[in-house]
Amino acid sequence: MRINTNIVKRQVTNWILRLFLILTSFIFLYPFVWNLLSSFKTNTEYLTDPYSLPAGLNFENYINAVKKANMASYFLNSIYVVVLATIILLVFVVPISYCLARYRFFGSKVILNIYMACIFLQATYIMIPLFLELQAVNGLDNRTMLALVYAVMQFPFAIFTLRGFISALPTDYEEAARIDGGSNFKILLNVIIPLCKPGIATITMLTAMGFWNEYPLALVIMTDDTKKTLPIGLANLFEVQKYATDWGALFAGLILVLIPTAGIYLIGQRQLLLGISLGGLKG
Amino acid sequence: MAKKPKLFIAVCTLPVIFLTLVFMIFPMFNAIYLSFTDSTALNVGTASRFIGLDNYKYMFQDKSFFQSLQNTIKLMAVVPVLTLFFSLIFAFVLTQSKLREKAFYRTIFFFPSIISLTIVGIVWSSVFNPNKGILNHLLELLNLENLQHAWLGESKTALWCVAAALIWQAAGYYMVMYIASIDGISKEVYEAADVDGARGIQKFFFITIPLLRNVIGITYVLSLSGTINLSFTLSNVMTAGGPNGASSVLLQYMYTQGMRNANFGYAMAIAMFTLAAAVVLSLLSRRLTDRTD
Repeated sequence: MRINTNIVKRQVTNWILRLFLILTSFIFLYPFVWNLLSSFKTNTEYLTDPYSLPAGLNFENYINAVKKANMASYFLNSIYVVVLATIILLVFVVPISYCLARYRFFGSKVILNIYMACIFLQATYIMIPLFLELQAVNGLDNRTMLALVYAVMQFPFAIFTLRGFISALPTDYEEAARIDGGSNFKILLNVIIPLCKPGIATITMLTAMGFWNEYPLALVIMTDDTKKTLPIGLANLFEVQKYATDWGALFAGLILVLIPTAGIYLIGQRQLLLGISLGGLKG
Repeated sequence: MAKKPKLFIAVCTLPVIFLTLVFMIFPMFNAIYLSFTDSTALNVGTASRFIGLDNYKYMFQDKSFFQSLQNTIKLMAVVPVLTLFFSLIFAFVLTQSKLREKAFYRTIFFFPSIISLTIVGIVWSSVFNPNKGILNHLLELLNLENLQHAWLGESKTALWCVAAALIWQAAGYYMVMYIASIDGISKEVYEAADVDGARGIQKFFFITIPLLRNVIGITYVLSLSGTINLSFTLSNVMTAGGPNGASSVLLQYMYTQGMRNANFGYAMAIAMFTLAAAVVLSLLSRRLTDRTD
């Protein structure tokens, strides 16, 4: 008898929890689903009843978003900036992290402490001096410059994480390679980088997503409409739609921005969640 | 270990240090310097004058500044506590329950924290849209028309709409951190509690929260600085600080002063004030939660 009531009790609790979780999931998902459905509706459909199902799969909004609303060029700009920034970041960060992990040299402690303090320095605080600096060297509206600035902003987090990762690696492989007469550069390339792959993958994912979503710096640095990245372009489109009535293109644009993020999330969720426990992303 | 390869170290570190100096340290010092000058778009650089603390003094006579300060304080009082409360509950339920589809909920709850804040802002603007918005529609379905508002368009509600979006996008992020820490608590502790007949809620308050105290302290600091920082993007996208500054926050007001009115000096005084406040608050709350027993 007692066991029986226990099982019943357990079942009831399970269903209460499940109900709670499903309701919460609804709050998390419904705004997206609503946007997705709206992106397939014609403007008349949307204006008559925003809560009906779309009459069919109407891709006109997507075509409008790409052609009229410049989404295609925002998209390409974003890809260019994200890829370049990630490459710059890794090329610069891996070697210095290796040195900081393995050697004590003049200033190494100071460097580490400065980067640790800089983790807390958010780009928003210095966006205006950066704007002035780039303006002075004609660096505004320049995608390559934006990528460089993005990479530098992530130096502290990336160096800190990667240095920790390398410090935890055994030195045996390096020493063996050194005995074989490998130069430092070769050891870095052929021994350290392969060993660091998990750390590098996590950093790449976290920072690339951050670059893809970045708003404050792009807002002040990219003012020319053809050079804007997706978050700025989309915010702009949203601003315009408040007064115009072509909602469809906005919803379609939103979905277009979400697709790569959602894709990467589903593929690399494990890596990403691991990275969060290391402390990264937005903060 | 072999002899220190000086050249190798120099090649590896100097470019990074140079770039950091150019794009982080210099702008930081420039921000501090600008905050003591009267530089505007017209007299930036050598043409600007050093005016000491005038910008900071002016700040405390500026009504709009006070409004954004007040709004930021309101957000900081409400958003971190609620966010972490929800994150803890999600993490606790997802780690303790034996539901098969747990991973599915975790995936969904975490999703908002990886998407662009622009999208969060736009999506929540459509939730709060007065005519077509999801919230007003829901209230209509529930026959609660008297609770309907213009939300983002009303000065009483606009800031809280931004707060809702902030909580919604961050709850999953801290949940993941908590899940990792709860997984670190040995199973035996919970099993012993089971034997003693502890109920779920008791376990939550007497085991999970006390054992996670340190993590909660860290996430509280993160959430405080996150609120100051992320509220800029959300308030800028959702309301641009409106109506009439009712949802403006410190960094958003800094942006308005700096980029719209081109008052660089004054804007940087606001930025430095905000940064100092963020650092002091973080240190204080760390000190309070880090009391080792």
